Amino acid sequence: MRGDISILSVVALTVVMAVTSPVVAHFGTIIPSDDIVSQDDAKTLNLQIKFIHPMELHYMEMVKPKQFGVVHDAQKISLLNTLQAVKGKSPSQTESFTFWTTEYQIRRPGDHTFYVEPTPYWEPAEDLFIVHYTKVCVNAFGLEKGWDEPVGLETEIIPLTRPYGLWTGNLFTGQVLLKGKPAPFVEVEIEYLNESPGNISVVVPPSAPYVTQVVKTDANGVFSYAMPKDGWWGFSALSEATWKLKLDGKEKGVEIGAVYWVHARDMK
Amino acid sequence: MKARFCLFILFVVTLLLSTTALGHKVNLFAYVEAGKVYTESYFPDGRPVEGGKVLVYDSQDNLLLEGMTDKEGLFSFAAPKIDDLTIVLEATMGHKNSFKLKKADLEAGK
Repeated sequence: MRGDISILSVVALTVVMAVTSPVVAHFGTIIPSDDIVSQDDAKTLNLQIKFIHPMELHYMEMVKPKQFGVVHDAQKISLLNTLQAVKGKSPSQTESFTFWTTEYQIRRPGDHTFYVEPTPYWEPAEDLFIVHYTKVCVNAFGLEKGWDEPVGLETEIIPLTRPYGLWTGNLFTGQVLLKGKPAPFVEVEIEYLNESPGNISVVVPPSAPYVTQVVKTDANGVFSYAMPKDGWWGFSALSEATWKLKLDGKEKGVEIGAVYWVHARDMK
Repeated sequence: MKARFCLFILFVVTLLLSTTALGHKVNLFAYVEAGKVYTESYFPDGRPVEGGKVLVYDSQDNLLLEGMTDKEGLFSFAAPKIDDLTIVLEATMGHKNSFKLKKADLEAGK
């Protein structure tokens, strides 16, 4: 569907970004080819794992993740060895970057939560490492069980809203956990995935604050956001790790993000 | 007024025909292992559909066999033939759903 994205929109978007983006939010992504698998749908999912700027479509180089797998029926299964490296770029990028893809066969009813722990990404502009623990949930055959269970990552978002079958405009509510405990008053960055599969209209933000929406969690680590458009939405709750990583012998801070992706659909 | 009535009828027909989730929708899932067909019947939250009637039809709509789900919502049977099977679940109060088990799945699970 990429061919459907109007070149003009992308050009306009690139210009807006170039002029207005002092802050660009990085997001880990896992986007499945379908988020609700019914008996008439293809049972083989394609999943794409990237490190991008979702609104701008910009790719960043992603080395092989540390962990990638699926939780289904309380069982955690590693799928790390199934990952294939692929190159991709946004229309405005000249260079291609590595991302990862795999196929997964849905065999049983129930919720399938896919998760990734990337290898730390060094961001010189922010003088820190970034690790985004990213999740997405795929429902299969009408059994709506498992979506509210934690995977057990260092930080993660636990949906309080069932994360599939969402209409545009629905309020998505989640709880941010840091080492298994609610994370109060942390920032949650929210971006629309302009590169959504099937997206035919690229959103061009009129100025920088529109690129990334920001909400904060309350005292219980809970946040909410109503999604105004059809497509994929990413929620990224950011914290600073208690641990450091070394670069050229110097200790550097690590930004850890709990990222969750949900799909909204227009009511029609 | 007439157009409005037609729309309403269309809506009702759509509801009747579609398998979209309703309040207490029942589901049936089936798979084949070692020549045996296993069915699981459940509500969306995972509660089993107990005492549901299971009807198995071949591709010509001939009823091949029928049975009843147990306490765990399970019912299994020896694959009656290698064909596209439609397995229908009829629970109480008119709750109904079906699952298509493809010939290829039966072939693979022989």
